[in-house]
Amino acid sequence: MHTQKKNQQDEISSLVERVKSGDREAFMTLTRLYQRKVFQLAYSYFRNKEDALDIVQETFLRFYQKAHMFQKGKSFQNWLLQMAKNICIDYYRKHHKRDNELRRKENIEEMNQTPHESSHHDPSSDLKEIFSRCLVKLSEKQRMIFVMKHYNHLHYSEIAQILDIALGTVKSLHFKAVRNLRTLMSPYMGRMG
Amino acid sequence: MVAFLYDELNEFDKKQVEAHLETCQKCKAELLELKEVYEAADLLNAEMEKAIESVDWKNFPTRISDGIFDKEPSRKRQPRRAGLWPFLFQPRFRLAYAGLLLGMIVGAVVTFLIFQSPPLQVADDGRIIAPQGFYDMMELEMARRDTIDYLDKSEYLLLDFVQSSPEKSVVFWQSDFASQRTKDLLSKKRYIDQQLDKIKLAKAKVICDQIELLFFELMQISDELSAEELEKIQFLIQERQLLLKIKLIRKELQKNEV
Repeated sequence: MHTQKKNQQDEISSLVERVKSGDREAFMTLTRLYQRKVFQLAYSYFRNKEDALDIVQETFLRFYQKAHMFQKGKSFQNWLLQMAKNICIDYYRKHHKRDNELRRKENIEEMNQTPHESSHHDPSSDLKEIFSRCLVKLSEKQRMIFVMKHYNHLHYSEIAQILDIALGTVKSLHFKAVRNLRTLMSPYMGRMG
Repeated sequence: MVAFLYDELNEFDKKQVEAHLETCQKCKAELLELKEVYEAADLLNAEMEKAIESVDWKNFPTRISDGIFDKEPSRKRQPRRAGLWPFLFQPRFRLAYAGLLLGMIVGAVVTFLIFQSPPLQVADDGRIIAPQGFYDMMELEMARRDTIDYLDKSEYLLLDFVQSSPEKSVVFWQSDFASQRTKDLLSKKRYIDQQLDKIKLAKAKVICDQIELLFFELMQISDELSAEELEKIQFLIQERQLLLKIKLIRKELQKNEV
């Protein structure tokens, strides 16, 4: 298992070396291997397909520009997701911060004030929307850690490497993120039945 | 509890928590609430899967690489060469080297401006004010020219003496013309003595002293001095190569014009 992982890592490293020399095929191979992972991260952060695709494109463009900075022996996935994370944050600050500031102020109750006309109303979609809005209310770091843990299924150690913070800090922030989500959602939990 | 929910605990800790949950209602309730959050978060998974499936991932890498590689079709990245010289001559250091060169030029100019002799200034009353260095240079040049003049005249006089026959040289030295010339030269020698000491023209001083002694002797020539004795004096002048030494010293002084 360990050998298999090491072989995989060596293969990825050799592809990155080829990209450094301008090998288009190697670049496309790496893109195919990691594009969905980057998309998952971006989508769970923004919940918008177009934004997520922009992030993926920008991430691989930046990878190509900074390929010479990749250190052999390090995890390529973590390095790539670190770039994706930075792009997500920059993108968020540039395009979404103002909207989400307004959303934060908006009461979640306002969303549920409109009477349900259809009998086929799906409570889970309400819960999904409530959860989505509660997620936005988390701090940047807590949201990123939660998204990486829940949707990218990364281990705490991998998240620590991507975010360049201590392992204990990751665990602590994840705990806080989940607890805050619980606090934010608790008034609406009983209603959903 | 969160670590337990996300299966981040090792086997031992996991069993500990499970055992605790069987007895602690409060922790059990907390875990249930966390599970609800977990399940609510899972609701987004389906939406995300739908979004992922809607993307043409097969052609996506081509789309991205077209945007990158078509912008720079012919340029292939050169691998970085190792070594000190390639490192030193990297393009990113151009600015540093340009700054260094500029600094050296500016430093040289500033040094020149600081240490060069200041120019002559004209005072309000029309007098020319010059720095001390200027006067020193003038003095040296005047001493040099005076010495050259003394040597020239001495040479002519000695040539006249040496090239004449002993009988004629007696007549020559006893004439008023030669006598006057000799006196003038001895007087000039006294004048340039101070300058020769001050400005340390040591070699020139030695020759000038020898010439002076010779002239003193020649001044003493009387009617009783025989042609033989005169011939000896001529021979001494030639033996000491006095005329050659005069030529050499004069040449050196002319070369060192200030």
